[in-house]
Amino acid sequence: MSSALPIASGSPPDVPTTSTEASIQVRNLSYFFGRGDLRKQVLFDISLDLYPGQIVIMTGPSGSGKTTLLTLIGALRSATEGSLRVLGQELVGLGSRQLVEIRRNIGFIFQAHNLFESLTAAQNVEMAVELTGNFRGKRQQAVDILSQVGLAERADYKPAALSGGQKQRVAIARALVNQPQLILADEPTAALDKQSGRDVVTLMQQLAQEKGCTILMVTHDNRILDVADRIINLVDGRLESDASPQQYADAHAPKSLDQKMFMM
Amino acid sequence: MKRTPLALLNLIHDRKKFLTSMAGVAFAVLLMFLFTGFKNALYDSQTQLLKRLNGEIVIINRLKENMFVPRAFARRRLYQAQAFDGVEGAYAIYISDARWKNPETKKTRPVRVIAYNPSDPVLTMPEVLARQQALRQPNTAMLDERSRAEIGPRETGVITELAEREIRIVGTFSLGTDFASGNGNLIMSDQNFLRFFANRGPEEDKRSFATADIGLLRVTPGTDIDALVQALRDGLPQDVLVLPMNGPEGFIARERAYWEVNTNIGFVFSLLTTMGFVVGIILVYQILYTDVADHWSEYATLKAIGYDNTYLFGVVIQEAIILSVLGFIPGLLISALFYNLGAAVTGLLFQMTLQRVVNIYVMTFVMCLISGAVAVRKVQRTDPAEVFGL
Repeated sequence: MSSALPIASGSPPDVPTTSTEASIQVRNLSYFFGRGDLRKQVLFDISLDLYPGQIVIMTGPSGSGKTTLLTLIGALRSATEGSLRVLGQELVGLGSRQLVEIRRNIGFIFQAHNLFESLTAAQNVEMAVELTGNFRGKRQQAVDILSQVGLAERADYKPAALSGGQKQRVAIARALVNQPQLILADEPTAALDKQSGRDVVTLMQQLAQEKGCTILMVTHDNRILDVADRIINLVDGRLESDASPQQYADAHAPKSLDQKMFMM
Repeated sequence: MKRTPLALLNLIHDRKKFLTSMAGVAFAVLLMFLFTGFKNALYDSQTQLLKRLNGEIVIINRLKENMFVPRAFARRRLYQAQAFDGVEGAYAIYISDARWKNPETKKTRPVRVIAYNPSDPVLTMPEVLARQQALRQPNTAMLDERSRAEIGPRETGVITELAEREIRIVGTFSLGTDFASGNGNLIMSDQNFLRFFANRGPEEDKRSFATADIGLLRVTPGTDIDALVQALRDGLPQDVLVLPMNGPEGFIARERAYWEVNTNIGFVFSLLTTMGFVVGIILVYQILYTDVADHWSEYATLKAIGYDNTYLFGVVIQEAIILSVLGFIPGLLISALFYNLGAAVTGLLFQMTLQRVVNIYVMTFVMCLISGAVAVRKVQRTDPAEVFGL
């Protein structure tokens, strides 16, 4: 796998320098579900750039199209209208076989850990390593990444013997082990208590900085908004706002909400 | 280092479920073994006496279509045959049905009597050869210890009535029953045969040495049997049929073919075997489908992170193959047990040959493969996008 891009951790990532290429470049992306009379548009003309080293949180009410956008970027659905470049490759118009290839360069973290109960933590992680064809060093790679997420001692435990937070950390280790430049996460903390959730996002933040990868996370969890470099708000399939956490917090403060409602 | 053996680990993860799965496959294997076993036992048993006859060429009445038909031929044909080059010995075998009285219940049961001159090496089982002298005593016989239990104790020293005449059992041998044997077999000398069957009641056939039921020819070593058979056919009158003992056109094959062609045994038991096969497909499909359904999100995750359908197909098919092997072994062992039991109770010949074991395994394998191929469609339809937002 290619090494991560070096990023000066001090520079504000939401002001990209011109020399850095966007890892995700979305232009005028629209998406429809169904066909014929039942055809329903869920994404409207989305344009967006995400850069290496950024943690971007996507919020929005349910049904706003967040998950659809995430699955499009993750090459899990094929986009048809507009342009969607992920890690330098145009996804619009690719066949499902080519999409599988793209997915191998992306780390996925799900709301549920989705670990095989029959495999140990290390074996679950090794399943991802095997995709790269590295059979000889897979055990070492798995153990290394598990120590990075603080589970070196638990490498040979099965999921049943791990806590919720530990399982999610194994899932994160599985997403990270191939050092992807892009990580997509869907409510990674939803099933966790406050402390475990905090540990998980801190870990992700750390890794984004160390490896210079882009993290796009869908979440409703207000407790973790502060780790974001940018917060994208999606409403009814349209990009409503794209702001820093501070701006977002100001705009969504109870006071300003009240004002808005008053104006309406 | 190799791939993580996901299929195996998934299968054995839940011990209880794994044992149930194995039991399911074993059950299907048992059904197939039992039904093919019965079919083969019925066929094999028809020829077990013939296979023990110590000769290369057989002469029978042209009308004796199978062992069930009591047609004898003129014994002088045997003397005529003896004149041919290459014929070393020609032995007459006399066969008759008779009623045997169970010494304990006093109920009579039909048995088959096989008689020949004890000096002739017709049946060469060691226990028979050892009793040659005893057989020469009047009113004696040897009893098949694999006769059915209905005829009473099957042991040396039994004294009872055969065809309403006292008989003493001077030894036992091991043969087994078939369709023509009734409840069991007796071996006696030709002299005793006359004692029992020369002067039967007015309704019954009187037997004498003028006719024999089977003529057995031994040839000198190195003789071309097919040529000798042809010569005998050309030379002997057309009231007898000359057959080689073995070979596709032989006496044994003809007897087996008769039962295969003229009975529904094959059809009935093949149908039952197919039922076992279908039950197996359904059981294995249930097992594999449940596994796929239980691990749906994990399989979808594998698809999301870049595994393709071929890999997932491989996992399910591997599970099918592992099940076919691990279910087959206990199925085979239990079937072997049932074969022994079946042989003991019925006196039929239950043979588990390598060929038959391989056949059933191939059926088991195909059975699991079909189930796997049906179950795998569920994984292949899995849309990895659905793992998000669950």
